[in-house]
Amino acid sequence: MRTGPAGRAAWVALLVVLYLFLLAPIIVVLVVSFDDATFLRFPPEGFTLDAYRQVFANDDFRSAIQVSAVTASITALLAVVTGVPAALALSRVPFRGREAMESAFLSPLLVPNIVLGLALLVLFAPIPLTDTYTGLILAHLGITIPYVVRTVCASLAGADPRAEEAARTLGADTFTVARRIILPTILPGVVSGGVIAFLLSFDETVISLFVSGQNVTPLPVAVLQYVEYRSDPAVAALSVCLVVLSVVAVVFVERSLGLRRSLRSG
Amino acid sequence: MTDPTTGVPSPTAAGAGAAGAPAADEGHLVLRDLVKTYPGRHGAAVRGVSLSVPRGAMLAVLGPSGCGKSTTLRMIAGLVAPSAGSVLVDGKDVTGTPAHHRDMGVVFQSYALFPHMDVAGNVAFGLEMRKVPRPERERRVTEALELVRLDHLARRRVSQLSGGQQQRVALARALVVRPTVLLLDEPLSNLDAQLRTTMREEIRRIQQETGITTVFVTHDQHEALSMADRVAVLHEGRLEQLGTPQEIYERPASRFTAEFVGRANLLPATVVAAASAGEAAAAEVEVPGIGRITAQGASPAPGEPVTVLLRPHRVVLDAHDPDGGIARGTVLTAGYTGETVAYRVRVGGSGPELDVELPSGSHRPSAPGAEVGVSWQQGAARLVPAAPRSGGDAEAADGGGPAGDRDPRGGAA
Repeated sequence: MRTGPAGRAAWVALLVVLYLFLLAPIIVVLVVSFDDATFLRFPPEGFTLDAYRQVFANDDFRSAIQVSAVTASITALLAVVTGVPAALALSRVPFRGREAMESAFLSPLLVPNIVLGLALLVLFAPIPLTDTYTGLILAHLGITIPYVVRTVCASLAGADPRAEEAARTLGADTFTVARRIILPTILPGVVSGGVIAFLLSFDETVISLFVSGQNVTPLPVAVLQYVEYRSDPAVAALSVCLVVLSVVAVVFVERSLGLRRSLRSG
Repeated sequence: MTDPTTGVPSPTAAGAGAAGAPAADEGHLVLRDLVKTYPGRHGAAVRGVSLSVPRGAMLAVLGPSGCGKSTTLRMIAGLVAPSAGSVLVDGKDVTGTPAHHRDMGVVFQSYALFPHMDVAGNVAFGLEMRKVPRPERERRVTEALELVRLDHLARRRVSQLSGGQQQRVALARALVVRPTVLLLDEPLSNLDAQLRTTMREEIRRIQQETGITTVFVTHDQHEALSMADRVAVLHEGRLEQLGTPQEIYERPASRFTAEFVGRANLLPATVVAAASAGEAAAAEVEVPGIGRITAQGASPAPGEPVTVLLRPHRVVLDAHDPDGGIARGTVLTAGYTGETVAYRVRVGGSGPELDVELPSGSHRPSAPGAEVGVSWQQGAARLVPAAPRSGGDAEAADGGGPAGDRDPRGGAA
């Protein structure tokens, strides 16, 4: 857009204000997490790292972090293992009704999570899969596989199918073409799909509320249960840890593989 | 290596998809009645193509876009399964053999290099698939890169290469495995004009050095005529003609070939009498507006309609003696193109219009309106089989038959 110096300053100011608006809650949480009070307040009046010590001293949080880490890792792995072949089939195998199938794969994203959670509860309760790792992971797969399929499909759309044909004419069978030609080309999409799946699973609250219980409690559910009865800076400290984890993961992918590129083409 | 390749006894038979000509079986690569239909699409993409390529020869498959030439190439490579017909290599039927067992080198129009590998990695891929041990692999990769004059760029990423260099990598990658047949799909169409001429010679040199049987697909007649030993003209999924570049250009077997390859004046005429038969067959024909002329080629019985082909550069205009030629004409337009002057001339008072091309500098240009004598050398006029091939062809339909064709101009697009 064509503007003078004054106009440009106005645009920049607008962006700064918007950015502050988006970041404000996180800044508040960050500041509060260093407060020395036993309840949440703003602005804080002291400074201490006690809140962070409390987080890691709390058994509920420790086990919840473990549950979430295990769940998110296995979910991400399974989402990639199933999502990549699905994306390959959707992009490279011609069959009747392929487009319908493609939209069907994305449809879980359109169902409100609360509906999905309720449905899973009804489905899992009699088996019984509620309050188990298996149930939690199955539930999370339902919402993460579509993301993996989507990012991988986007990567495949950017890869030249003629290169795969060239490999075939040079003597590569279907499996070798997938391993030596397709996978290296779509690796950025696969990795970012996996990282997104991990973060989504780690972050998932609504569905987890329905299918988790006393034995297997993922972190977001543990946090909710904690703030039901208490509100001290420990929750803020935990939130800061979660934000840092997300940022580190995204920066890692962005730096090494170009997450932005693979998302943009999607 | 001439005779077995002319293969198809008569173009009419080939066009109608006559069951594989017996002579064709002697070729290194043989196509027999290849057909490809796509479900849900009207008509077939390829409608019965039979041809044969002798060992070490280079065949150009020439035709406009949508004529089925790429599909034919992909069927040879095994990337598309034919609906009917067969592909034979060394007399062995490979129709059911999957692409990765066919041992054919393919160069794609988009080059289709592997973007995550460097130049040497791309070239080595086929050797890895064949489990060639590393020392030999490295030696052959170097040799192949030397052949295409890229040995200094072995460690370059393919994204850093120019179009011409990518093209050479694709060629080296296909050749390094010493395939039985080399297939090139529009290999030069993504290059700029100058590079195209260089690569044309380069590909021809490499093909002759390696002696590999080669099929390349193109829509460019210059490419086909200048590079190939044999040209197959494809039109609407059918083989129109198979022959040497000279045969294709000088003795086209159909109106389509005459118009598609080179520029052409096509004049409707009627046979008066066959002048001679056999190799030097010729006939006396009556061309409305011009009169009786002699034309080369086998003719149908007297009274039958035929089409006479007259290439623009073989017609001569004489401004000094308008009545001294075969016919008298009036210049309608004259266009200077540098190397030639292109005229449009009406023959007689209301006769056909002819495109004429004279070398510039060889004559004093005539202005529009000038009266000129129109003539041509003995043998310049050629009979083109006029009867439409088995029904429903576009050309047969659009002119309403050559005899009724009011506008004989042949301006090939």
